[in-house]
Amino acid sequence: MSSFRVSGRGRVDHTQPIQFTFDGKKIKGFKGDTVASALLANGIHLMGRSFKYHRPRGAVTAGSEEPNALVGTRRGPGRFEPNTRATVQEIWDGLQVNSQNRYPSLSFDVGAINDKAYMLFSAGFYYKTFMWPKSFWDKVYEPFIRAAAGLGVSPTEPDPDHYASRYLHTDVLIIGAGPAGLAAALTAARAGSRVTLVDENPEAGGSLLSEPSVMIEDIPAWDWVAKTVAELKELGVKLMTRTTAIGYYHQNFVGLCEKLTDHLASPDGETPRERMWRVRAKQVVLAQGALEKPLVFDGNDRPGVMLAGSAQTYLNRYGVRVGDKAVIVTSHDSAWYAAFDLADAGTAIAAIVDTRAEPNADLVAEATKRGIRIMAGHTVTGTEGRLRVKSVRVNPVTGSSVGAPEIIGCDCLLMSGGWTPSLHLFSHTKGTLKWDEERQTFLPDHKAEECEIAGAGRGLWGIEAVLNDGAKMGAAAVKSLGKTAKAASYAVAHDRPGTGVSHKELPTDLDAGKARAFVDYQNDVTAKDLRLAVREGMRSIEHVKRYTTNGMATDQGKMSNINGLNIASDALGVPQPKVGLTTFRPPYTPTTFGAFCGYHKGSHFEVTRKTPIDSWAEENGAAYEPVSLWRRAWYFPKEGEDMHAAVDRECRATRASVGIFDASTLGKIEVVGPDAVEFMNRMYTNPWTKLAPGRARYGLLLGDDGFIRDDGVIGRLADDRFHVTTTTGGAARVLNMMEDYLQTEWPDLDVWLTSTTEQWATIALNGPNARKVLEPFVEGLDMSDEAFPHMSVAECRVGGFPARLFRISFTGEVGFEVNVPAHAGRALWEMLFEAGKKYDICPYGTETMHVLRAEKGYIIVGQDTDGTVTPHDAGLSWAIGKMKPDFVGKRGLARPDLVAEGRKQLIGLLTEDGKTKLEEGAQIVLDPNQPKPMKMVGHVTSSYHSDAAGRPIAMALLEDGFNRMGETIYIPMPDRVIKATVTGTVFYDPEGARLKL
Amino acid sequence: MTVLTHAFTPGPIVASGPVKLTLMAPVARFSLRLRAASIPAVSKALGVDLPTTVGERAASGTTEAICLGPDEWMIIAKPDDTDTLVSACADIYASATHSLTEVSAREITVRIEGDRAAELLTIGCPRDIDSIPVGGGCRTVIDGVTVVLWRDAEQSFRMDIWRSFAMHIIDLLCTGCKEFAAE
Amino acid sequence: MLLIHCPYCNQTLPEAEFTYAGEAHIARPADPSSVSDEEWRDFLFIRTNVKGPHYERWRHFYGCGRYFNAVRDTVSDRFLITYKTDDPRPELSKLLEKSK
Repeated sequence: MSSFRVSGRGRVDHTQPIQFTFDGKKIKGFKGDTVASALLANGIHLMGRSFKYHRPRGAVTAGSEEPNALVGTRRGPGRFEPNTRATVQEIWDGLQVNSQNRYPSLSFDVGAINDKAYMLFSAGFYYKTFMWPKSFWDKVYEPFIRAAAGLGVSPTEPDPDHYASRYLHTDVLIIGAGPAGLAAALTAARAGSRVTLVDENPEAGGSLLSEPSVMIEDIPAWDWVAKTVAELKELGVKLMTRTTAIGYYHQNFVGLCEKLTDHLASPDGETPRERMWRVRAKQVVLAQGALEKPLVFDGNDRPGVMLAGSAQTYLNRYGVRVGDKAVIVTSHDSAWYAAFDLADAGTAIAAIVDTRAEPNADLVAEATKRGIRIMAGHTVTGTEGRLRVKSVRVNPVTGSSVGAPEIIGCDCLLMSGGWTPSLHLFSHTKGTLKWDEERQTFLPDHKAEECEIAGAGRGLWGIEAVLNDGAKMGAAAVKSLGKTAKAASYAVAHDRPGTGVSHKELPTDLDAGKARAFVDYQNDVTAKDLRLAVREGMRSIEHVKRYTTNGMATDQGKMSNINGLNIASDALGVPQPKVGLTTFRPPYTPTTFGAFCGYHKGSHFEVTRKTPIDSWAEENGAAYEPVSLWRRAWYFPKEGEDMHAAVDRECRATRASVGIFDASTLGKIEVVGPDAVEFMNRMYTNPWTKLAPGRARYGLLLGDDGFIRDDGVIGRLADDRFHVTTTTGGAARVLNMMEDYLQTEWPDLDVWLTSTTEQWATIALNGPNARKVLEPFVEGLDMSDEAFPHMSVAECRVGGFPARLFRISFTGEVGFEVNVPAHAGRALWEMLFEAGKKYDICPYGTETMHVLRAEKGYIIVGQDTDGTVTPHDAGLSWAIGKMKPDFVGKRGLARPDLVAEGRKQLIGLLTEDGKTKLEEGAQIVLDPNQPKPMKMVGHVTSSYHSDAAGRPIAMALLEDGFNRMGETIYIPMPDRVIKATVTGTVFYDPEGARLKL
Repeated sequence: MTVLTHAFTPGPIVASGPVKLTLMAPVARFSLRLRAASIPAVSKALGVDLPTTVGERAASGTTEAICLGPDEWMIIAKPDDTDTLVSACADIYASATHSLTEVSAREITVRIEGDRAAELLTIGCPRDIDSIPVGGGCRTVIDGVTVVLWRDAEQSFRMDIWRSFAMHIIDLLCTGCKEFAAE
Repeated sequence: MLLIHCPYCNQTLPEAEFTYAGEAHIARPADPSSVSDEEWRDFLFIRTNVKGPHYERWRHFYGCGRYFNAVRDTVSDRFLITYKTDDPRPELSKLLEKSK
């Protein structure tokens, strides 16, 4: 192994070597390594190219906030993920990792020309560059932007993985299993609460994993973590690792994304790749710690320039020295400890550059003891090195004057600009933040949810302070649940407390206008860009953000926000709290679409409702169409038939003899009670009082605005019992509307509604031979025309099953609808089909049903109506009980607009050539030669080829249609104008003679 | 794992693992609606004291009742008892008005049992399953579909699902069973 | 996802069991034929659309099926109260007092 791996050090398993590839090159690491730690162990810092300037970049962090080291990871076909953070992805044998945003190779990238032309790409360059000439937009600019846009390449194959989701209810949810989270969990669990503890890392411990020398209660930190985790498990705490809290919503609803297989060499195939947890917690403890800030100086983005705390993590957690010769530049004490750890591990520390004139004396003593050169009161003004930093330019600062530079050679530069409390989730809740002048950062202020913030999130620093705060906040959470808890007090030895100061960009002796001092690494935003935005008139931080794209990358500015704020605030001459922060939004870290989809993919994408007869249709070759959530048999093509031929045949067979149709999807509502008839009178337009039991009637349902909502045949089974049918798509909506009126307007009525849609399978038989097929199966009913005329209903037995039999017709032929209990539907269908064979019975689907009804001018609500059509408009005035004092929609029908002349009315259309079928939805004009935009006077609602009429037929909503009978109207199409004549809507058997037996 | 068809033949669907699924034999099922004043008379006719708190259940012999809403109950009985129940209720209708509507064929019922039965429900049910007491139940939603849950034991549930939604929900539960078995 | 207290079930349950049903306390006129076009228009279409506490209706659609009323702050998305359909309209000042 390389010289950068420190033998025996870290939490990686030195006995388990793992091999993966990076841009095709074999790389060795250990179990427990991330891609970044393994690459660094091999001396590789260059991991990617930046988004805009294609500048060489390396890992700047060791965690999920990483802006630079974004790679593509692959696991065979379809399993490719772009923009994976190399600092998070665990390695496994055979993992394929590729760098991004470079061509032809990572070390030589032609796109890097952008970097030389950086002056052109300043803030707002899109707005300025692509303005003129206009003709360049779609030929030059847009293709260019599209080619250059985005980071990484999207996979093109379907995702073969599966994803899962669960709901979880818990007393206390603790987010972050670092020292604060562990202490909080221990306190809450010991008090007997249901506790869930989550952490995005593969193991609990948080910052303690990077601080092995700390002693807690006389135990080394790592042993304390192990002991604590064991006790938590003992206490029944649900500890979830590799689990990121992505969003914090109202009433302590938190989304967690758990990664289950991305770290495994060979997942078992049954385990989902990721699981989304929707957690409802009574109390939440946010123990997310703090994120280290970079310092802003020219060349702060070169590979090898890294956060000091991250270098410490690579050393202590992964056993990797990030370089042989380091320079530290810091404004916070914490970086000194990183220097000490590295020095003790064998890395030469060329200098500790502290921006503060007088660093902590104890630290200075420690450094001196190790022979480290200390450059207090200094600044960094530049770096050199093409693919890796090789030197640092350091200058003394006295007051506001920057002295002469000194060039210091190095192979890594470790920086710290202090720490920002991680309050993203807290911000999701609209919890407010308060500027802390001393710490130069925002701290939580007013809480909007039942939550506590513990540890570094509250600006605390040092393990002891954080542990004790975690215990305190765990106790506070438990107390809010009405329990009592004792917060333990922890004594910590070898603690590393510290303080620091915050900066805008570091002072320099060079032309600041030429400095490439990056604030947002991922979006390539520099300090100069921010100042330019302010100069060009951006005042609100939200405008500065959008103009420069600072903080708009996938890391949402985890590292750049405060630096950006400091610079914008300086440029505006307004203090930070007055400038304010931009809004953090979920998800906390990039989350896959798969995790959000969960189980809803493939056949489980959404519910597919099937009728009890659907399986017969499938076995008999039906083509299907979706109707609301149902899949319905559309037509039954025979060998060699297209849809047109099949539908013509089905129509012909039904009108000639008998057709059989599955109408089970019709909505059905049982209306029962002494006030059933009164309820029906109030709900539907029609009069129901005189409808005798055993009779059925077409019912029309309006909204109180007077427009048609639904229709269906309604049978009266008894004085106080109605069998109401609704349209397939309207079933749930109609029941909802009925319940609304019943519960809230007429609670006095003694009537109840029950959905029976799925109780009954409904088989429609239509055609002159329908009765002959059905009659032998019917028991207990005289089916003669006299005893059981058109529009009758009876309870009887059909095929041995209890049945509700309707004599009704949606085709214009003699028709019956048999309702039997759903489980009997297919058996009865098969019996009828078998018996019907001697009459050439023909199964038909929804398309033939549509044609047959259109030939008769029967409307389909939702197709021939659109929510603005009155009964009169639809030619259904006859269905209105004019003598009734009130019904839903009656007053609405008297509204001035609804009684006005010239409304759009439903009429028939016949194309003049007798051959052309109109397109549904096509617009109608009166004069095809008028200038554009033409005045559109209506549209085609239904259009079919009619076998019975021997020509295409159509229905349309047309302005003043009833007064235009016989007139010619025009339907302009892209290639021609079609002429059609306005007619009535009945195209077949206008006298209704065929309804009689 | 048995392949389930829309014939909904009773029997095991998932027969082993941490959660077992079984399609139950059909029962007679009625939706009962009435006002408070009719409760005593109808309870007497049914032979079951109708519970009056939403989510509570009562049983007498093979007849069970669950209160689903302030004026709504689901009544479960042996299929053979259908005519008796219907006529008993019809007899008192004039003095104790109500709506009794047979919905035996509307729903199918799945038994969910095993060490992790309650947890399996959490893959689609947003309600806190712990809040449903043993011997209680509720109408709720799972994966966007209305179901009635009966908690018969700590780790044994019945789930009534409308017929056309049943395949979707059972498919989800089967997926969950596989997922649990892999853990 | 909010938690909503159903006054009929007397349980606080996930929002997924409920559907929203528009503004509350808009009674359908007892005798619609006697109201003016303007009054009928207002009944049909005119809503307060408040920023702040809003009297509104919900339905425990996937549960007990009952419509009920609620006062919810449209700014904070917090429920101040839920109550049965036939309960009187609670006074806002008292609710605000209580929520403090």
